[in-house]
Amino acid sequence: MHVVSASDQPPRSLLADDNRGRLEGWLAGQAGASRVTVTEDGRLGGGAISLNLAVTLDIDGGPLAGRHACVLRAEGGGRISASIGKLREFVVLRAAFAAGVAAPEPLFACDDPAVLGPDFYIMRRAEGLGAGHAITRSEAPQADLARELGRQLGRLHRVTPDTPGLDRLAEAPECPAQETLAQFRAWLGDLGRRDPVLAWGLRWMEVNAPLPGAVVLCHRDFRTGNYLVKDGALTAILDWEFAGFSDPMEDLGWFCARSWRFRRPDREAGGIADRADFYAGYEETSGRRVDPARVAYWETAAYLRWAAIAVEQGRRHTSGAEPSLELALTGRMLPEIEMDMLRHLRSIGGLSATSAVGSAIDKVA
Amino acid sequence: MRTNPDARGLLDIAAATFRTDVLPHVAPEARYAALMVANALEIAQRELTGLDASGHAMLAALALLYGEDAYDDLGGNDLRHRVEALQHRLCIEIAAGDFDHDGQDTLLDSLEAIVKARLAILNPKAAG
Repeated sequence: MHVVSASDQPPRSLLADDNRGRLEGWLAGQAGASRVTVTEDGRLGGGAISLNLAVTLDIDGGPLAGRHACVLRAEGGGRISASIGKLREFVVLRAAFAAGVAAPEPLFACDDPAVLGPDFYIMRRAEGLGAGHAITRSEAPQADLARELGRQLGRLHRVTPDTPGLDRLAEAPECPAQETLAQFRAWLGDLGRRDPVLAWGLRWMEVNAPLPGAVVLCHRDFRTGNYLVKDGALTAILDWEFAGFSDPMEDLGWFCARSWRFRRPDREAGGIADRADFYAGYEETSGRRVDPARVAYWETAAYLRWAAIAVEQGRRHTSGAEPSLELALTGRMLPEIEMDMLRHLRSIGGLSATSAVGSAIDKVA
Repeated sequence: MRTNPDARGLLDIAAATFRTDVLPHVAPEARYAALMVANALEIAQRELTGLDASGHAMLAALALLYGEDAYDDLGGNDLRHRVEALQHRLCIEIAAGDFDHDGQDTLLDSLEAIVKARLAILNPKAAG
């Protein structure tokens, strides 16, 4: 993972002064240990929304005795609409880890403001390279990696709303497409009535909405840039802060969207390989077939979702709440995202309003 | 009252100096932030010089649907308001279902041309 020692944001002294002592005391109680020492190893990247701190825990006594390389993930200054909060994220991570997904093992979660202030949790630290541009640099396609990512997603999608321990999450939607559409309208607000590209995306989603099918635990930010790779092999899937129940094809559409192909827009599965490799891995473990028409629907949704998030990130800057060049530039990405959506809609041209609905009905019938 | 060089002139030379004299010497941990600064300066440069051209390109894109004149004489706020009004009208028609069955090809041509006009300022490479 990339350690960031300088940032455009003022460093937050999360573990300064008394905080470290309070954290160590709290951890000792949680771990049933006689003593816990926390060493700070630096701030980690990928913290546009959360604050990620690399820490080493030295635990004396108790079942977890020993040294553990970890990440402390705390609620950042400005949470955006799509994020679920640190305690829910912890619950999701636990469910995913239990389902055999290569998520970092979650260890401790805390919602007591007396410890550090914000909610936070601690998970094991995984090694590897995460940056999308680096992952997609490879000359040869990475079919094995794509297949493995498909398998991982398939395992995650075996987690249903009935799985114990997930009560903290928002209730499973009856119709994921309709619910998502309503959410996008709310997030985009007035912009959906001023920007004709967004208006067309929203209308397209409304007219083409597939009938409700399976609803499972989705990662909702499963993409290149959010997993770690070491020596060509997957080590961890990160960034679970948008997870929630939805149509399983939503995660596949998001993964394949042009926005996350980085250097290799020609490699439709996350810029690393063909869709066929990714889909094959998914079908191995998920117990269901990939429905390309639904994936195409959710890929349109992916562009609108990314557009809504980018707009909101930009507003965090322009509102004055969180002045940041990175947030400001993210807000400016809207036309690029829209161009990707239009290219996608062109490429599925045959999938006109009626045929998409028709194919959805075929699947259900 | 205007002092020379003006804002545009200052921005041009600041962006060029930053690229050639500062960026190569930035420490690795600050490189990401430095690249963002360079990017922001260049977007601002393109916006200062190209906003009206972009607005006219958007009007031409909307003319594919509405067949109106290109309003070559408009500029500044008048141009912006004209574009906004036509875009709002198009949003209403889209939401009302006017393009659900017919005219999707023309609509997509128009939408693509609108986005390209905005990309000319934001990221000309992505407009291609």
